Amino acid sequence: MWTIVLAAALVASITFAVTFGPANITPLEVWGSILHHLGIGEPPLTALRDSIVWDLRLPRVLTAGAVGAGLALAGVVMQSITRNPLADPYLLGLSSGASLGAVAVLLLGSALLLPVAAFLGAMVALAATLLLAGAFGRITPGRTVLAGIAVSALAGAITSLIIFWTVTGDSYREILGWLLGSLAGARWPAVGIAATAILIAGIPIMMSGRVLDAFAFGDTSATTLGVNVPATRWIMLTAAALLTGAMVSVSGAIGFVGLILPHAVRLLVGPRHRLLLPLSALVGASFLIWADTAARSLFDPRELPVGIVTAIIGAPVFAALLARRRVSS
Amino acid sequence: MPRPLLTFSVLASAALLLAGCATASGTPVPSSTNTIPIDNCGVEVPVAAPPQRVIAIKSTSTEMLLALGLGDRIVGTAFQDGPIPAKWAAAASGIPVLADKVPSQEVVLNANPDFIYAGWESNFSADGAGTRSELANLGIRTYVSPSACKEAAYQPKRLTFDDIDQEINQIAAIFHVDDASLLAEQHAVLAAIRKDTRGLSALWFSSGSDIPYVGAGIGPPQLILDTVGLRNIAADVKDTWASYNWESVIAANPNVIVLVDASWSTAEKKIGVLEGNPATAKLDAVKNHRYLIIPFASSEAGVSTVDAAADLSAQLKALNLG
Repeated sequence: MWTIVLAAALVASITFAVTFGPANITPLEVWGSILHHLGIGEPPLTALRDSIVWDLRLPRVLTAGAVGAGLALAGVVMQSITRNPLADPYLLGLSSGASLGAVAVLLLGSALLLPVAAFLGAMVALAATLLLAGAFGRITPGRTVLAGIAVSALAGAITSLIIFWTVTGDSYREILGWLLGSLAGARWPAVGIAATAILIAGIPIMMSGRVLDAFAFGDTSATTLGVNVPATRWIMLTAAALLTGAMVSVSGAIGFVGLILPHAVRLLVGPRHRLLLPLSALVGASFLIWADTAARSLFDPRELPVGIVTAIIGAPVFAALLARRRVSS
Repeated sequence: MPRPLLTFSVLASAALLLAGCATASGTPVPSSTNTIPIDNCGVEVPVAAPPQRVIAIKSTSTEMLLALGLGDRIVGTAFQDGPIPAKWAAAASGIPVLADKVPSQEVVLNANPDFIYAGWESNFSADGAGTRSELANLGIRTYVSPSACKEAAYQPKRLTFDDIDQEINQIAAIFHVDDASLLAEQHAVLAAIRKDTRGLSALWFSSGSDIPYVGAGIGPPQLILDTVGLRNIAADVKDTWASYNWESVIAANPNVIVLVDASWSTAEKKIGVLEGNPATAKLDAVKNHRYLIIPFASSEAGVSTVDAAADLSAQLKALNLG
C-alpha cells in the first residue's frame, strides 16, 4: 500500500520537478520535449530550449532521485548493521573518505576515475573506522561513532590540505559547492553512474531485508537464525560504501538524507526492513528531488549547494526525532 | 620599544628627509593642496605625507602606481593576476614579488612598508596582510580600490569611469603627484571607442564549470560591456560578479561570450567547458566560436579598464556575425 503511494509520489515529483527552472518553459512543452526524446510526437521547442530540458533538467532530476535513494539505503544499512540509530555514511566517515578520494583524483585531473576513487576512499575510511572501533576491545555502537568521527576529521583535514595546496584563483568556489553537496554538474553520465550503483548495490540491499531484520536482534540471535555475522556485516557495509562512493562522486557530500529519512520511514511503517528498505529508497529519491529543486529555484538565477538545503531541513527534523525518541523511551 | 615601531620611526624620519628633495617619481605638487583625510571604504586615510615604501596587492594596485609614475615607491608586489602590461614593464622590472597570493602579515611587515594598496577589501584580513586597524596601529596606512568596497554605503551602485577617475585622484592626492596627464590619456582611449550598434548580447564568463561565475550588473564587467555596446545577459543581478546558472544562459542564447583569461582558468579551459556541456555546446556563440578574450588583470576596475574596453571593442569589430 505505502509502496504504491510513495512510488506514485516519486513519479509525480519527477514530473513536477522538471517543469521548474529559471527558463520560461511551460510544463506542456517540457513533457512534449521529453516524450519527443522517447520517440513520441514532434519536438515542441527549439533545439536550444529543448537542450535545457533534456541535457540539463531531466538528468539533474534523475540524478537527484538516484542519489537520494542511494544515500537513504546506505543510511538504513549503516543504522541496522551498527545497531546505531545515529549511524549514516557521514557519521562513520564514509562520505569524508569518498570526498577525499574524489578530490584527490579531481585535482589530478582524471574524471573517469572519480567514482572508483570515491568508492576506494569510502572503503578505506570504513575499514579504518571499524578497525579503530575494534582496536581496543569489542566493537560497540558508541565506539564505532567515535572512531567514525576521528576518521572523518582526518579525511577532512587531508582533503582541506589538498585543496589548500592546489586550488588556484577562485576555483575554490566550485570545490566548496561540491564539498557541500551540489547537483549542478549532473548530466547524463552522472545519471549513468548513480543508476548503475543503484542496480549493483542498491537493489541487492533492498532484497536483504530478512538478514537485516536478523541483525536487529543482536549478533548471537542473528547467528542462531543462520546468518554468517562477520561475512554479512562486511558484505552489507561494502555495498553501502559502494553506494556512498558512487553518490559522492556525482553529487559531493550531501548530508542528512541517509540519517533522517530511514527514521522518518520507520515512524510510518515500523522497523521491519523488508518494507523499510524500498520505502526509504523511494522517500529518499523524492526528498532529494525536491530539495534540489528548491536549491536551484529559490534564489534564481543563483543556486545553493543542495547540501545546505538538506541540512537546513534535516537538522531540525533530526532534533525532533531525538526529542520524540527520548519521550517514548 | 618593540622592534617594528623602532624601525618605523627610523624610516619615518628618513621619509621626512626624503620628502624635502624632489623625487624621480611623478610630478610633485605642493602638499598644502591636500590635507583632508580620504574616507576609503569607511577607513580614514591621512594624506599629509606622501608614502615612500608601498606594497601593492593585486594587479590593479600595481598598475595604478606605475601609471602615475610611482614605480620606485613600490617595495614589493603580491597577488599579481598576470604579467605587467608592456608599457610599464621597464618601470616594474626589479620590483620584488612578496607572495603569489595574499601575503601574510609577517611578509608584509618584513618589507617595512608605510602604505599598503590593495585591490580587494578581503586582502586586509587577519589571515592575510593584517586588518586595517592593526596595520594603522603600526603606522602603516592602507587603501583599498574604492570600486572593491563591499559595504553598501561605499560600493558603487553601478561602477562608472568616474569612479576609476576618482581613485586616480585619490591616489594622486595621497602621493602628492599630478594626475592630469593620466586622466587625459584615459579619457582619450575612452573617447576613441565606438559603441557597437548591432544590438548584441553577451555572457561575461569569468570562471566555473558546473556553476558559471559571471560578470553581473554593477561592476567592471557591466561597465566594459556598456562601453563597447554589448547587452549583459546577467545585468539583472545586482552584484559585481555572481554565481549564475547554465539554464538562464541557454535561455538567453547570447550573441557573443566574453572569456576571462586567467592562468588558473584559461580561455581555452572555458571553451572546453562550453563545448563539453551538451547544452551549452548548442549555444550560437559556442557553435560559431564567437568569443572575445580579456586578460583577468584588466577585468577588474583600474587604469587598465579603458584599455580592456578598447581591446574588447576591437575584437568585437573584427567578429564576423555572418
